[in-house]
Amino acid sequence: MSPQNSSDPNLDPNLDPNLDLDGTDLVPRRRFLTLAGAGLLTIGFGSLAEGVVGGLSEPLNQKFESLIFKPQQPVPEFPLNAIEPDKLIVNSFRGTPAINPLTYRLTVDGEVNQPISLSMQDLRNLPFVDMVIRHVCVEGWAAIVQWGGVRLRDLVAIAKPSATAKYVYFYSADGYYESWDIDSALHPQTLMAYQKNGQDLMPEYGAPLRLASPIKLGYKLSKWVTRIELRSELGQKRGYWEDLGYEWYAGL
Amino acid sequence: MRSLSQSPKPMQTPAAKVFHWVSFVSLFLMITSGLQIYNANPVFGGRGGIHIPAIFGLGGWLAGGRHWHFASMWIFALNLLWYGVYILVTKRWQHRYASNKDIKALMVSQNQKRKNYAWHRLVYTSFIPFLLLAIYSGIGMYKPAQFYWIVDSFGGWDALRITHFMTVPITIALATIHSQLGRKVGGDRLTDSMFWTDS
Repeated sequence: MSPQNSSDPNLDPNLDPNLDLDGTDLVPRRRFLTLAGAGLLTIGFGSLAEGVVGGLSEPLNQKFESLIFKPQQPVPEFPLNAIEPDKLIVNSFRGTPAINPLTYRLTVDGEVNQPISLSMQDLRNLPFVDMVIRHVCVEGWAAIVQWGGVRLRDLVAIAKPSATAKYVYFYSADGYYESWDIDSALHPQTLMAYQKNGQDLMPEYGAPLRLASPIKLGYKLSKWVTRIELRSELGQKRGYWEDLGYEWYAGL
Repeated sequence: MRSLSQSPKPMQTPAAKVFHWVSFVSLFLMITSGLQIYNANPVFGGRGGIHIPAIFGLGGWLAGGRHWHFASMWIFALNLLWYGVYILVTKRWQHRYASNKDIKALMVSQNQKRKNYAWHRLVYTSFIPFLLLAIYSGIGMYKPAQFYWIVDSFGGWDALRITHFMTVPITIALATIHSQLGRKVGGDRLTDSMFWTDS
């Protein structure tokens, strides 16, 4: 490489006389290539190491997230005219299961003193709650939705939870499974919903019964829930996406 | 021109060098992992929209991008915080950042070197509001239920997303201009002094 001279476009003669003209090491192109190489290596090895990074950071983030979470404080709701009916995208991991709402039963069991099994009619006879909230997906999109149904805390109260219950598992008719911390499950806006935007829930949105809440990401909001199990500890399996590597707490 | 290279070597305080390095690396991690997350559902056009080439995405998949993003955010944000305290305590903010003098120089000065220097100070100072905006909008996306008022301050989710995303091209553009202006006012010696040279 020839020594730098005034024909180098980077060396405007008006410029700083302190320019160091020694050494071919200071060629911007070489610097640029070095930087680009370092960047690509970081992306390559960093992508391979994503599990390690998650394993190290997730417990700390989770501590912080649960620390700032206010279990009793409702999230402000939206007016009815804020609903965005076209924005809620249907996601499922293996399609919509066929469920007969007439024979459907919801079981609540595990660390409870009085396990229960309820029909849709039983659920409709419980106090109805509805809310207009923002549903936020891990993918980045969001939709303002009205959900109507039963507070999960009301259901859990009927089953008389033992003091040892710290986690809640949700099992769905399609094989999907999820687990939540009990504080989030008992939040006043965590619903077992059978209505969406004022109408009966459609099968692809989780009918007859699904989780709905403004405080967790969409993948925590199981559709087609058939069993709710209270547990004192988290098991090896913590959720379909979580077991593949997604964050467990996923609080909003 | 070689004879002129006897002027004092540019020197940076260790604090400035540490801040610059950590900013440089953590911003790279935040931007590349952010682009990985972006690709799960592009801000512009949704799933059928414009995707970023996979080679620029850190993490390999959505969950990996999120792991990197939510790990690096602490380093990135806390680095800005301690340096902000540092420049307040040492009063560096009074003379190390763009001021009216630089604006005046840009408008009336005949001295091209002084003008370049003014541009340089203006550009690196303008990083500050955009990086703070990235953090503010990022908190709103990370915890939209608890910090609902941040989402509200943008008028809604889509505006918040677009704002958060736009801090990426803005930061990349500023960093590119900053590196070129740094060369212009101080040459590679100035660049080296910020990255490597012992002071």
